[in-house]
Amino acid sequence: MNEIFQLFTIPFFQRALIASILIAVVASTSGSFLVFRGLSFMTSGVAHAALGGAALGMFLQYSGIVPWFDPILGALIFSVLVAVVTGYAGESGISQKMEVAVGVSFALSMSIAVFLLHYIPPTQVPQVWGYLIGDILLLDNLDVILLGGTAAVLVLIALLFNKEYVYVSVDMEGSIAHGLNARAYHYMMLITSALAIAFATKAVGAILVYAIMVAPAAASNEIMRSVRGVMVTVFIFALISEIVGLAASLAIQASPSAIAGIIAALIYVVSMQVKRIRERAASNQDFPEVEDLSETFHESLSASAEQAHEHEHE
Amino acid sequence: MSKSNLLFDVQDLAVKYPNGDFALHHVNFTVESPSFMAIIGPNGSGKSTLLKTALGLIRPTRGTIKMMGYDSVRDGHKIQRMVRYVPQRDQIGLNIPMKVKDIALMGRLLKKRPPRFASSKDKEITRQALEKVDMQDFWDRPFPELSGGQRQRVLVARALAGKGSILILDEPLAGTDAESQRLIVDALEDYHKNNDVSIVMVTHDLNPIHRMVKNVLLLKRTVIGIGAPCSIMDVDLLTKVYGPTARIVEYAGHRYCVTHDSGMDRHE
Ligand SMILES: Nc1ncnc2c1ncn2[C@@H]1O[C@H](COP(=O)(O)OP(=O)(O)OP(=O)(O)O)[C@@H](O)[C@H]1O
Ligand SMILES: [Mg+2]
Repeated sequence: MNEIFQLFTIPFFQRALIASILIAVVASTSGSFLVFRGLSFMTSGVAHAALGGAALGMFLQYSGIVPWFDPILGALIFSVLVAVVTGYAGESGISQKMEVAVGVSFALSMSIAVFLLHYIPPTQVPQVWGYLIGDILLLDNLDVILLGGTAAVLVLIALLFNKEYVYVSVDMEGSIAHGLNARAYHYMMLITSALAIAFATKAVGAILVYAIMVAPAAASNEIMRSVRGVMVTVFIFALISEIVGLAASLAIQASPSAIAGIIAALIYVVSMQVKRIRERAASNQDFPEVEDLSETFHESLSASAEQAHEHEHE
Repeated sequence: MSKSNLLFDVQDLAVKYPNGDFALHHVNFTVESPSFMAIIGPNGSGKSTLLKTALGLIRPTRGTIKMMGYDSVRDGHKIQRMVRYVPQRDQIGLNIPMKVKDIALMGRLLKKRPPRFASSKDKEITRQALEKVDMQDFWDRPFPELSGGQRQRVLVARALAGKGSILILDEPLAGTDAESQRLIVDALEDYHKNNDVSIVMVTHDLNPIHRMVKNVLLLKRTVIGIGAPCSIMDVDLLTKVYGPTARIVEYAGHRYCVTHDSGMDRHE
């Protein structure tokens, strides 16, 4: 018992715990809306774009072309680019087109990353891969502060504009027709999500980010019946996955991201089952009494047959 | 407030979609306000396109369309402030867990400023609108779990609860049974009479509304006819639009238009 308490006094573990909570906040305030918009795929696209952007940043920095160019700048720029391209494809409100745009930018940014890796000093290559794998146990204070700022901004935006985000997703055309500047909210939602994903990717790696951003939101959307309910359960599901991941990583030397990803996926599978069981229960519930109308029906048939006869005789 | 007394003032309007098809061309007509106006025409004749252009959602390729004197391109936001719009039902996303009340409240909240909190007055008016279409018992039910006709009724309630002097409805009667139609039509009629509101609706069936309709626009990529319902119920005209199967049958003092497209249409 004491050992567990001692854990909480270790700085790297504290940082990992705080980061877990912050990532869960990001998932709740950004992942939920992306799933509503039919865009959960964008998370992985943006996370990989961040990787490509970081590789570009590192190349510019170490080749001496732009020495002040921090990799995170590249990551942010690429992420926003993906969001803008996706948003442009989806201006009409059709999400299929956005999926394609995400897929293309995904492939492009991964190709750029792999291409540039060749020109980056070998000592720096692990930093690029850090954007992919990441490790929540290796965060420094700056990572946590950046993540905290991101989460705070997202919470503020979600509080102010959750209705607009939902309206744009549910009825883009109707919203514009009622005078909503739907295009602005459409882009704001995609760009703020992209920035958040990029910061989160820098901190904990793409794999954890999309495990936590996509599966909990999809799971909640299956079982919850209100927007607020979805957002709360996303937070809970995300946090559970991450805490289990952290605990397991200490107990059995596994990557916390990998475990968290597996837990999140399991939660999604369970949610689908819960939904199915619930639906079955609802359909068994109070089977309505059948009013026997067949007699009336037959009577009316014979009545009309008689009428028809009468007509014939006329 | 309004710049003109014309609900619609359309001059030489043409609308082309990016794929190159002209959805509308050489459209000219005017309708005086207030009106209860029906837009009819076969599938793909440009009815929805006309409404979207009027609302400033699509830019005309040529010509202009004005509502109450406001140009759809230059003063789109002014039009949007006057209008409440019910899109065709299949435009509404169903993978978002919104309750009936959330959808119905949209009509009022969209005309407010963020964070758009619903006041008790908003809720009261929305509840009354849902009562008009007999959906008040569904207040807390998830919208995606309603039947098609029930969803339609909620969307009509959303428009009734909103603000604005023009109601635009794109096929509000599609897929509804006789009872839902009666509820929707009665609510619209009531609203039109008591609130000095113009109503514009696309429909495939004039029957349920023929008592109230003042102007009928018959569209097939361009204006085929416009006028009182009687003048539109003309054999030659309807044959031209709906094809040679369209017929008008006189029965018990009503004129019925029989087509393959829209079933039956009655008119005195
Ligand atoms: N987004 C779009 N892109 C390209 N073409 C379109 C688009 N929307 C409509 N069209 C075309 O424009 C024409 C008119 O379409 P519109 O939706 O206005 O018809 P409608 O009269 O409302 O038909 P319906 O009775 O089926 O609702 C059709 O030929 C259609 O194929
Ligand atoms: Mg249409």
